[in-house]
Formats: sequence, C-alpha cells, structure tokens
Amino acid sequence: MSETSSNPRRALSRALSRIANADVAETLAQQGAVPTPEMSRIGVTGAPGAGKSTLIARLAKLRKGEDHKIAVLAIDPTSPVSKGSILGDRIRMDAIADDPNIFIRSIPSRRSHDGLADNTADLLAAMEGHGFDEVILESVGVGQAEYTIRTLVDTVVLVLLPESGDAIQAMKAGILEMADIYVVSKADLPGAELMVAEIQQVAERQTADGWAPPVISTSRNDLEGFARLDAAISAHAKWRKARMDETATQRARARYQAQGLIARRIDEIMEADNSLLDLDPRGLFDALIAKLNPSRRDA
Amino acid sequence: MSLNGKRILIAKPGLDGHDVGAKIIALALRDAGADVIYTGLRRSPDYIARVAVDEDVDAVGLSILSGSHKELVEETARCLAELDAGDIHLFVGGTIPSEDHDELRQAGARGIFTAEMDLDEVVAAVEADLNA
Ligand SMILES: Nc1nc2c(ncn2[C@@H]2O[C@H](COP(=O)(O)OP(=O)(O)OP(=O)(O)O)[C@@H](O)[C@H]2O)c(=O)[nH]1
Ligand SMILES: [Mg+2]
Repeated sequence: MSETSSNPRRALSRALSRIANADVAETLAQQGAVPTPEMSRIGVTGAPGAGKSTLIARLAKLRKGEDHKIAVLAIDPTSPVSKGSILGDRIRMDAIADDPNIFIRSIPSRRSHDGLADNTADLLAAMEGHGFDEVILESVGVGQAEYTIRTLVDTVVLVLLPESGDAIQAMKAGILEMADIYVVSKADLPGAELMVAEIQQVAERQTADGWAPPVISTSRNDLEGFARLDAAISAHAKWRKARMDETATQRARARYQAQGLIARRIDEIMEADNSLLDLDPRGLFDALIAKLNPSRRDA
Repeated sequence: MSLNGKRILIAKPGLDGHDVGAKIIALALRDAGADVIYTGLRRSPDYIARVAVDEDVDAVGLSILSGSHKELVEETARCLAELDAGDIHLFVGGTIPSEDHDELRQAGARGIFTAEMDLDEVVAAVEADLNA
C-alpha cells in the first residue's frame, strides 16, 4: 500500500513497516543515497523487567520539546514457537503516547538474536530522516544486546535491578564495560543503595578517554533521578561529539549491518532448500557460499 | 494460514475496568503468530486511533463490556478515518447483544465476538478477515 498519506505520521509509520518487513534483497535495494543526518541516539538496555520502558517514558518527557522531537523504537521478543509477539513496552509509555512531539513504535525481534530486530539500523535512519532530533532505542533485555546496541547508538544506558547479586552477574557477563551511564532502577525497593555503591566501584575503574560513567538511581515516582539521567545523557553526548571518531563509528555500523544481512541471507537460503542441511559441515559451508552469489553462478 | 506478520492492537475504550478477556485474546492472537500491542484500560477512541496509526496495525480489536459499544465503535471508526486510516480493520468483542450486531457492522465492525464464542473461532475469524 502507498506510503503517501495526508497524515505525515501515517506515512512514517508505513515506511517503518516496509523497512521492518523487507527481506535481504529488498533491504539492499532500499539503501538510499540519503545520508543519515547526525542525530543523537540513546540506547537503553538491561535485563527483562529492569524498568527500561518506564525509564524511557520519563526521559522522553523531560527531553522533548517543540524543537526537539523524539522517536522511540521499542523492541520486544518474538516467541520462537508461534513467531508472534506481545509488544508490551508501549503500555509503560502510555503517559507520553499522546504527545505530538513524541513518536513510539514497537517492533518484534523476529529472527534477530542480538537483542535488536531485523533492519534496526535502517529503522533508526528512517526515523531520523523523518525529522526526529533524537531516537531512543529499547533493546530486548537478553543475550548480547549490550554489545550490539553499542555500535548503533551514541550513548548506552544500562539499567540494573537493585537485587543483590545483580552486580556480580553483570560483571561476569562483561556487560559492565559496555555502558556510558549506569542506572540502578526501582530505588524505592530495598538493596538499591548497596547496588549503587557496588556499581560505582566498578565504574570508577573504567574511565575511558576521560569519560567516567556515572551511576544514577531512579525510582518511577521520583522525577529527580530522571532529571539527573537526562543531564548525564546530554553531558555524554557533548563529550562524545567533541572526541568522536566518525570514521570508526561508521565502520562499526557498516560492519554490523553487513554481518546481519549476510546472516539473514544464509537463513533465507537454508529455509528455501532445507535438503542443504543434509550435507556434511564442509559441504554445507561451500554450498552456502556458492549460493550467496547466485547471479554470478547462473550467468 | 496464519497471522504471521500481522500487527493487531487490542484496546479497551470505555469505563469498565475488566481486561482479562482482552489479555486472553491478545495471547491467543500472539499464539496464532500475530504481533500484538495492548493499550491498557479506559482509552479514548481518539487515543486508540492514534496508537493504531503510529504502530501501523492491520487491525484494531476493541474490548467493550460497558454497554456503550455502539458509540465507541462509531467514534473509533470516525477517528481512524480522520487520521487517513479508515482502511485499518475494526473488530469488537465483549458483551454485545445480537440485536446490535447489524448496527455495529454498519458502523465499521468487521467482526463481532461475544463471550460465548471459542477462542479458536475468534482467531480463525480474524485470520480469515486479515488474509482475505
Ligand atoms: N517498584 C518499582 N517498580 C518499577 C519501577 N519502574 C518500573 N517498575 C515496574 O517494573 C516492571 C517492569 O517495568 P518495565 O518498564 O516494563 O521494564 P522493562 O525493562 O521495559 O521490561 P521488558 O521490556 O519486558 O524487558 C513493571 O511492573 C513496572 O511497573 C520503579 O521505579 N519502582
Ligand atoms: Mg520494556
């Protein structure tokens, strides 16, 4: 269906669906010459139920303005059984959903296993292309989301639950090295203070290039914590702009996107002909490589 | 046939505060492969239509137990049309007497689901409608 609509939000919304549903060939065909404007991107990650959506709602409300339009891309997991999903992030953002300066889109993770969704990079670029000044990305809180989100956004906010043991858990998984800002959520619950102190100790040791990751505690009914987070994000964005290696950032994003497309293309090939899977590993590998470029072979 | 790739908004307009039925339907649609968005209790038709547009859903399912289904279906259809989204399919479920069905269909409801129906039947009807 057409993406032209008298209603600009509908046009954007349609464009996002087209991008989200595009297979590999369509995705490649759609790669426009339009350069991505340099907008700031905030990534929010953390375990399931950590309070990411609740935090994004508060944060978007603080940061938005007539001249600062905010788009939220919220990813929830696809059920591996039915391939369906309950996109439940939005319900925590109800308070901001009516704001004309905020746009929220929920997306299922589909086959993607990295805490993001198929074509996330293109979805972010499309939102930026439609005049949003800032995009907030909520990852699915599982697996290696912390690593991949790093390549696609400018500022990574890691949300941690104030449960004892969570700090150790996070250290083991190595995710504590990935964040620019730590948030200990649900500070109204017991354990938050201890958690903040623990994370602070870890964070102090990882001052990289002059950025010392702050540790902020938030509680959903106390705006002050979110105001501190808002200020910390702005400070990080400013710091990053001053010293960002644009080439390295673009290269990391190009690499992530290419890897994702090739992985999906291989999935498509195996789904189209699953007798390939009867080959031994070497044979399967060679067959897949050969099939990655069918036009050349068939010519 | 499945609901894979279909986006459906389950919404509760009106004043009643019971959303167990809405949640059960949401899960059944998810199990049939749909991507389901749920808006929570007591949303206005205008709000529901805006969410439907931003989320680019294929269908909106209204769950209504308050008895004001006629007004709410009409109003939601009108709000969708106003946002250039009159092509989004509209379903309604809840306690809805059969003498109101014709009027609801005229107002734009493509399916009317009552408590007596099996979940499977509801899912099959949605599936048939969205794949038509
Ligand atoms: N006590 C307390 N509960 C909170 C707070 N913030 C969020 N919650 C609750 O924690 C639960 C999860 O919150 P969400 O914001 O949905 O968390 P999330 O990280 O987005 O969850 P997923 O997207 O499912 O991974 C909900 O029941 C919230 O009401 C808080 O500051 N204090
Ligand atoms: Mg969430």
